[in-house]
Amino acid sequence: MSIVPKETIEVIAQSIGISNLSPDVSLALAPDVEYRLREITQEAIKCMRHSKRTVLTADDVDSALNLRNIEPIYGFASGDPLKFKRAIGHKDLFYLDDREVDFKEVIDAPLPKAPLDTAVVTHWLAIEGVQPAIPENPPIEAIVAPPDGKKMDHGKDDSLPIDLKLPIKHVLSRELQMYFDKIGELILGRADTPLFKDALLSLAKDSGLHPLVPYFSYFIADEVSRNLNNLPILFALMRVVKSLLSNPHIHIEPYLHQMMPSIITCLVAKRVGHQISDNHWAIRDFAAKIVASICRRYGHVYHNLQSRLTKTLIHAFLDPSKALTQHYGAIQGLSALGPSVVRLLILPNLETYMQLLDPEMQLNKQKNELKRKEAWRVYGSLLLAGGSCLYDRLRLFPGLLSPPDILPWKTNKKIALTNLPNNKRKASSRLTAHQPPTKKLAVDPTGTNSQFPSTDGPATSSSSGSNPNHHHSHNSSNNNSSSTGNITNTNAGINNVSGSGAHGQRVAVSNVLRQAWKEDLDAGHLLSSLHGLFGEGIFSFIQPAEMHCFI
Amino acid sequence: MEEEVEKAVFAYLRKKGFRLTEIALQEEQSRLSSDASSLSRSESDAAKYYDGYGKLRSWAYNSLDSYRHELLRVLYPVFIHCFMDLVAQGHMQEARTFFQTFREDHEMMHLRDLQKLEGILSPSHLEEMELARLWRQNKVKIRLCQYSYELLVQYLHKTQSLAMLGVINEHINFEVYPGQPASISDDSEAVSLIGTSQDLAREINQKELHWGLLEDSVEERMEKALSESDKTEVDGNKEADTEDNKVKKADGNKHSTAVNSKKKKDKVVGATGKTMRSESSMVSVPPRVKSELTLPQFPPEVEQSILEDLRNRVQLSSLALPSVSFYTFLNTHNGLNCSTISHDGSLVAGGFSDSSVKIWDMAKIGQPGRASNPQGENGSMQGMHSLASDEAKRPYSLLQGHSGPVYSVSFSPFADFLLSSSSDNTIRLWSTRLNANLVSYKGHNFPVWDAQFSPMGHYFATASHDRTARLWSVERIQPLRVMAGHLSDVDCVQWHPNCNYIVTGSSDKTVRLWDVQTGNCARLFIGHRSMVLSLAISPDGRFMASGDEDGTIMLWDLSTGRSVSPIIGHSSCVWTLAFSCEGTLLASGSADCMVKLWDITSSMKALKTDDSKSGPASRLRLLKALPTKSTPVNTLRFSRRNLLFAAGALSTGS
Repeated sequence: MSIVPKETIEVIAQSIGISNLSPDVSLALAPDVEYRLREITQEAIKCMRHSKRTVLTADDVDSALNLRNIEPIYGFASGDPLKFKRAIGHKDLFYLDDREVDFKEVIDAPLPKAPLDTAVVTHWLAIEGVQPAIPENPPIEAIVAPPDGKKMDHGKDDSLPIDLKLPIKHVLSRELQMYFDKIGELILGRADTPLFKDALLSLAKDSGLHPLVPYFSYFIADEVSRNLNNLPILFALMRVVKSLLSNPHIHIEPYLHQMMPSIITCLVAKRVGHQISDNHWAIRDFAAKIVASICRRYGHVYHNLQSRLTKTLIHAFLDPSKALTQHYGAIQGLSALGPSVVRLLILPNLETYMQLLDPEMQLNKQKNELKRKEAWRVYGSLLLAGGSCLYDRLRLFPGLLSPPDILPWKTNKKIALTNLPNNKRKASSRLTAHQPPTKKLAVDPTGTNSQFPSTDGPATSSSSGSNPNHHHSHNSSNNNSSSTGNITNTNAGINNVSGSGAHGQRVAVSNVLRQAWKEDLDAGHLLSSLHGLFGEGIFSFIQPAEMHCFI
Repeated sequence: MEEEVEKAVFAYLRKKGFRLTEIALQEEQSRLSSDASSLSRSESDAAKYYDGYGKLRSWAYNSLDSYRHELLRVLYPVFIHCFMDLVAQGHMQEARTFFQTFREDHEMMHLRDLQKLEGILSPSHLEEMELARLWRQNKVKIRLCQYSYELLVQYLHKTQSLAMLGVINEHINFEVYPGQPASISDDSEAVSLIGTSQDLAREINQKELHWGLLEDSVEERMEKALSESDKTEVDGNKEADTEDNKVKKADGNKHSTAVNSKKKKDKVVGATGKTMRSESSMVSVPPRVKSELTLPQFPPEVEQSILEDLRNRVQLSSLALPSVSFYTFLNTHNGLNCSTISHDGSLVAGGFSDSSVKIWDMAKIGQPGRASNPQGENGSMQGMHSLASDEAKRPYSLLQGHSGPVYSVSFSPFADFLLSSSSDNTIRLWSTRLNANLVSYKGHNFPVWDAQFSPMGHYFATASHDRTARLWSVERIQPLRVMAGHLSDVDCVQWHPNCNYIVTGSSDKTVRLWDVQTGNCARLFIGHRSMVLSLAISPDGRFMASGDEDGTIMLWDLSTGRSVSPIIGHSSCVWTLAFSCEGTLLASGSADCMVKLWDITSSMKALKTDDSKSGPASRLRLLKALPTKSTPVNTLRFSRRNLLFAAGALSTGS
């Protein structure tokens, strides 16, 4: 009934030595205790107001007790605001940390420093109604609209109706300027210090950095072009980009077009850092991830963002004159955009590309060890791209795998790659496993069949247009099968192992199921074609259960 | 016995053939009996209150728009009495639930009262708590228009909710007036329904009030001197010229020559003086009144300095805002209770919760801007010096004498004396020249919340927890007048510029104006919704501003007792208010770390045109909000030259 439960009264009674308090008494006392508490608190609030405070202190309660001619409670001094701690496990229960103090400890302790004496200082809060910008006054907002510009505008309006665009003065506060300089210095000089990590954190979290974004985007573009052979700096710059992108208080959209070129440069540049000594593959991977995250986040704002990006990348990928490092970057960038992009853009070109790549990888044909290594890299990334795509397919339609897709291996249950370095394979498989499913779903166009999503449309057409002679057969097969709803497997170009047998059995299946089977067949085709190209390496991307279906 | 009488009566009526009377009697009898039985039943049934009130509430909220606000006014007293009835009948649990269910409706208007009443948990508390007693003993008076009243009565009859009917009958008096319902803005009376009866307020506010300025003040003399030297007489001044004033006019002439000679030196000053005068004549010169107290005469050199200040005064308006000099108290450890600044800003005093009073002489510390440096040095040196030399090195003079927290300090007009009031029930007078205590005034029985020197010095007024305000003269240790009438603590006090009145603000949410000669209440201002913390009266003596705990600022016309509609000026307590010297600006300082400047001239004009009771009154116009870094503003003071001084203790926050 009252806020004070009767148990409290019982506890208090026990603490002062009354053990046999009848329940009636405590029940009657509880409401009265609450009433007195309220009374005293109200008086205490009065005292607080007269002390010109808004925080109630123990002194106020003492004064209130004094007003009522009640002896004050001793032992509660409060020179400073009391520090309440939150009780663990309770959301709104707080307590004072009131330790028991050992008397001896107190006596032995050295005298505390005398508190600073009260002093009065003066400053101008306002001069003729305007607050001067001095440290004693609260800071004015970072960006102040230039008042002179406004006035000039009005003046012009009176004389001539010409719409003059005055140069907008961008006022950057001193603090922000210092911040910018400091960050720049860190990027260029001390990117390996823990301070840089804090700086990145600040870039990712702090509000009020928006005025600096144009400066940062310019800085990044500038420094990337200047430091293409300095890998640490490039890395630092990319990390700055990542932090800026993740800052929720910054509207980075208007500056994306300035940032994208620098990032893509890091992704597909011919030479990044020292070719031999530096691990330039890492920065390409990193840039690919950033690019993908940008597309994910701002794709809906700039609908042509992804298409432009894929166009650039596919150009780099399909140009045989480009270096292998560039190919690698392009493949990484495309595969980071999701399995569907891989399926639509890489896989059709895969076979031809493999023909190109094959000689580079073989010991007898390519004598340059560096080149050969690069080729293997590219091969690995292609495998990864294809594999993740396959994985995605299979994961989407796990139950519909067709049993007759018998593939030409039977015994090899041990999944090992003989021709790839071990570590690479591990990395790739781990990557696929960790790819979040949502990402795939988000990027994966709904119609995995012919209806390309609008964002991918131009890119695909351009890609097919750029090399029509090579890949016509595959493309047309893809289009054919889906648009007509016919599952006839006419394209024998790549896969000749499976599908035809299956096809015969499925003709009678209802239309509803047909689509599903098509997907399934797609997966089957995909697998077989990939197997044809990569050999057994591709099996690492198939989960054991599904694998079972195939076998 | 009774039945026999009844029978006899009936027999008599029948015999005489008074058939209609007989039926009427029967009807009345039956109604009485049913009433009695149902009332007794309702007592046993607590749920009836809950249901009855709930229905009444929804009915009132669903009523026609134009009558709703009048009908809603009925709800609050009904709510309170239902709650109290439940408590009185011992239905604690039900009373609690009832209170919690419906309290939200009234929180906006009556939060403070609700907080108090919430604690009532047993019938004995009803007896004990003053507010509850007031409610139980007094009838609430509610003004309703004819139609609203009929609606209400009709509803009560139709629904047969006897619990509600009983409560309304017992505790509410309706004052029915014909015609249309009053507008919502007229709702000030709804705020404080109980205790201070509206009639009393109306009666008090009928009294005559001489709000004009003192005749023969320094300002007036200066004005006259100026006008005479210009040979352009202003009518208003002429009226004030009476027989016995002639002597002083000659006196004024003397001054005028002095002024003239100075005016030649700088014409700019003279020009500003002229504009000031022309402005004031435009805004109708306030009438002059005689002082009812025998006031001290200023010594000539003091008068000279005032004249000097008046000549150098900066004209403030909504376009020319004042400069604000801020005194920040550092390292107060939450101990600064009050502060005050002398007229010229050279002395700053603070009253502390450790019973001490400290005065800083800003002139001695040096340039205000560099004030912190010498102090900092002192602070570092203190460790090395002995206590004796420490005394000398201290940048302030320490006044010790009180035995409880000091709640207010006030400088005399020329800063040679300082008053301090404390929770030890005393007021002490200190000499700032000697740094010593001169007198201790004992009279109040409870902590003295506020003490203020009169504008002319010599007299001072105090406000106390004992619900009285007292008037003292510095040379007597007994109060000259005791002003009793407030229903709760008197929290603040302020002098009218003509020294014939003081105003007091109280925790009973009213402001009263007292005649110092008779000690009677001359005005009662009802409208605040929480305790009044600060008061200021415009220099022309016509308007008063008051600020309360919720951050509301109200502006009142003293002569009519009406107010400009209140505004929520701050988000927290308004600690202090100050009018600029011409009365064009109002400055307010609050616990939300803001100094705000308000335009008075526009709202005054609105108030004047509003005299004939027109539409909604205009609001105060905010001119400027000046935030401090983290310093609640305790004190504001306009110097005679219209420089605004502000003071507050830096709050360290966490």
